[in-house]
Amino acid sequence: MIDNILSGFSAILAVGPILGIIAGVVIGIIFGAIPGISAIMAIAIILPMTFYVDPIVGITMLLAVYKAGIYGGSISAILINTPGAAASFLTALDGHALTKAGKAGKALDISLFSSVSGEMLATMVLILVAAPISAISLQAGPIEKVFLLLFAFTVIGTLAGESIPRGLLSCCLGMLFAMVGMSTITGASRFTFGSTELMGGFTFTPMLIGILVMPEVLNVIRRRKVPHHELAITRSPNPADNRISFAEFRSVFRTILKSSGIGTFIGALPGLGSSTAAFIAYGEGKRTSKKPEEYGKGSVEGIAAAESANNAVCGSSMIPMLTLSIPGDDVAALLMGAFLIHGLTPGPMIFFEHTETIYAIFAGFLITDLFLLVIAKAGFSFFVKIASLRRYYIFPCVTVFAFAGAFTAGQNINDILVLIAFTVMGYGMRLVGLNPAVFIVGFILTPFFEQNLDQAFAIVGSDYHLMFASPFSWVFIALSVFFVFSSIKVRKKSAAKAKAEQQAKQEPLCNQTS
Amino acid sequence: MDRRKVDVVLSTVIIIASLIILTYDNFVEGGAESDLGSMTLPRVVAALMIFFSGSIGIQSLKKLYNNAEIESAELIITNGFSGIFIYIGIFVAYWLAVPYIGFLVATPFVMFAIAILLGGRNWLPISAVSILVPVLVFFGSREFLRVYLPTWTLS
Repeated sequence: MIDNILSGFSAILAVGPILGIIAGVVIGIIFGAIPGISAIMAIAIILPMTFYVDPIVGITMLLAVYKAGIYGGSISAILINTPGAAASFLTALDGHALTKAGKAGKALDISLFSSVSGEMLATMVLILVAAPISAISLQAGPIEKVFLLLFAFTVIGTLAGESIPRGLLSCCLGMLFAMVGMSTITGASRFTFGSTELMGGFTFTPMLIGILVMPEVLNVIRRRKVPHHELAITRSPNPADNRISFAEFRSVFRTILKSSGIGTFIGALPGLGSSTAAFIAYGEGKRTSKKPEEYGKGSVEGIAAAESANNAVCGSSMIPMLTLSIPGDDVAALLMGAFLIHGLTPGPMIFFEHTETIYAIFAGFLITDLFLLVIAKAGFSFFVKIASLRRYYIFPCVTVFAFAGAFTAGQNINDILVLIAFTVMGYGMRLVGLNPAVFIVGFILTPFFEQNLDQAFAIVGSDYHLMFASPFSWVFIALSVFFVFSSIKVRKKSAAKAKAEQQAKQEPLCNQTS
Repeated sequence: MDRRKVDVVLSTVIIIASLIILTYDNFVEGGAESDLGSMTLPRVVAALMIFFSGSIGIQSLKKLYNNAEIESAELIITNGFSGIFIYIGIFVAYWLAVPYIGFLVATPFVMFAIAILLGGRNWLPISAVSILVPVLVFFGSREFLRVYLPTWTLS
């Protein structure tokens, strides 16, 4: 493994990959910092630009956009209390309180250091555990893979949706759309209605941009009359308020380590994602803190807990994707698509078929953290200025990038129609509470599922009970059932809590009026 | 807008579509024989869709029938929807125009229109961005990605 890691570093330390990482970090921070544009949107827009470069350059660039985008989200959260993603909600809580107290520099510093620490730790874990896990998962045959994928569908659909039926329906819709076109197993054309254009199925990139990116643009257009908030760093006359000292960093280092561990563990489980990691780490940090009363009112420790956990998810969400072909969250699903486009099939075989490439990507993942630290620290003011651009400069550009990106995929103007159709569909899905990210996961995983299911049927013949002969099958069935029931329980609990809070709020109002 | 009504309509549409997938045989053409069969998985997925959309529809119908108080997540805010329709209209016109007038000619107009839609009134910088960005994207795609965006075909 050491040899592979060293050869990975030697492959990544070249002009092309380094330029890709720098470009990815800059683009990621800018896109992440712009309110209304998230890391996933940034990756979807940048994805078509990586088609024509070497996979090492293209994939590391996308990963740099991902990491920097997640960190960039904390800038708008801290400065204008607008979290770019749900995961930055807690950062906004403490970070904006510090900004109001004139300590924006301190909040941005701790956010950057915690993000980089969390990411580095998770990346180390990814490098160390991915190959051994993949060696174990190589033992899994088609039957085990069928149950593994069923488990992935169930967990992601159950946990990521607004409600369980809505999450699972989103997944089913993704699966159905993936079956349009020529079947890879039988060669039959399905749901093409005689159209030759549909024989190849829906082009992935326009569909992806349409489902994930463009609905955000539509959302900005719908709220176009909401006043623009300019990002600005408030500077305190006391220099100690504008930066984080080594002593302060050391005092929160334990929290960073613990939260990074929580983030790494949560990220490795499919379907939970960075928001869950941030909330659990923040809660744990508050529980064990010496100053829990400061949490939510400008706690440096609070920012450290939330940021290190949500950034640790970046690295560890790649573990299930690279070892089991299961994307841990929506961004991992998108990255899985990017791997496939670059001719790398995520799964245990990737460590044997593309050893040099995968370790180069790992090395790039690690080096990205250093570039993120240097570039973000050196260019805070620049990024804040760029991210402050008014929306009527940013979103026409996003539209053009989306158009060019959709066209680039197949150099076919009809792909723009696919983009428009999925834009409407993606926005409609959000309106009715269906989850577009789960739709994408369903879309990406279905071909693998169908292929393994066909092979499993070929193995068992008419003895269908043999599908359940392996202990793995029962383990994954039990895990799926457990996740569904625990999710139902958690949702019921939180609904009851919300109802009680609402009633408590209404009671004083009733007393006042009477 | 009450999302529960939309849920009922949408569930009905999905159930009807799923029933068609379950019963109609002509959605698949040709292909070799396999252990799984080309329509097995689509039909399983269709059956699951009937179940999930049915449960969503029934829940919403029950709430509507009982006149239950509407929750915040069940409210679709339609303010500003006119802008969305205009944007989609601009995008469709863009798609139709590009094959004839080319990317370089169509894009500045589209960017300018979207900027105005978003409330931009700084004509000079908006014009500059609307001209510069398409030029950069066009030549950037051609030189670095070897992607040739459509050019003028009216002659």
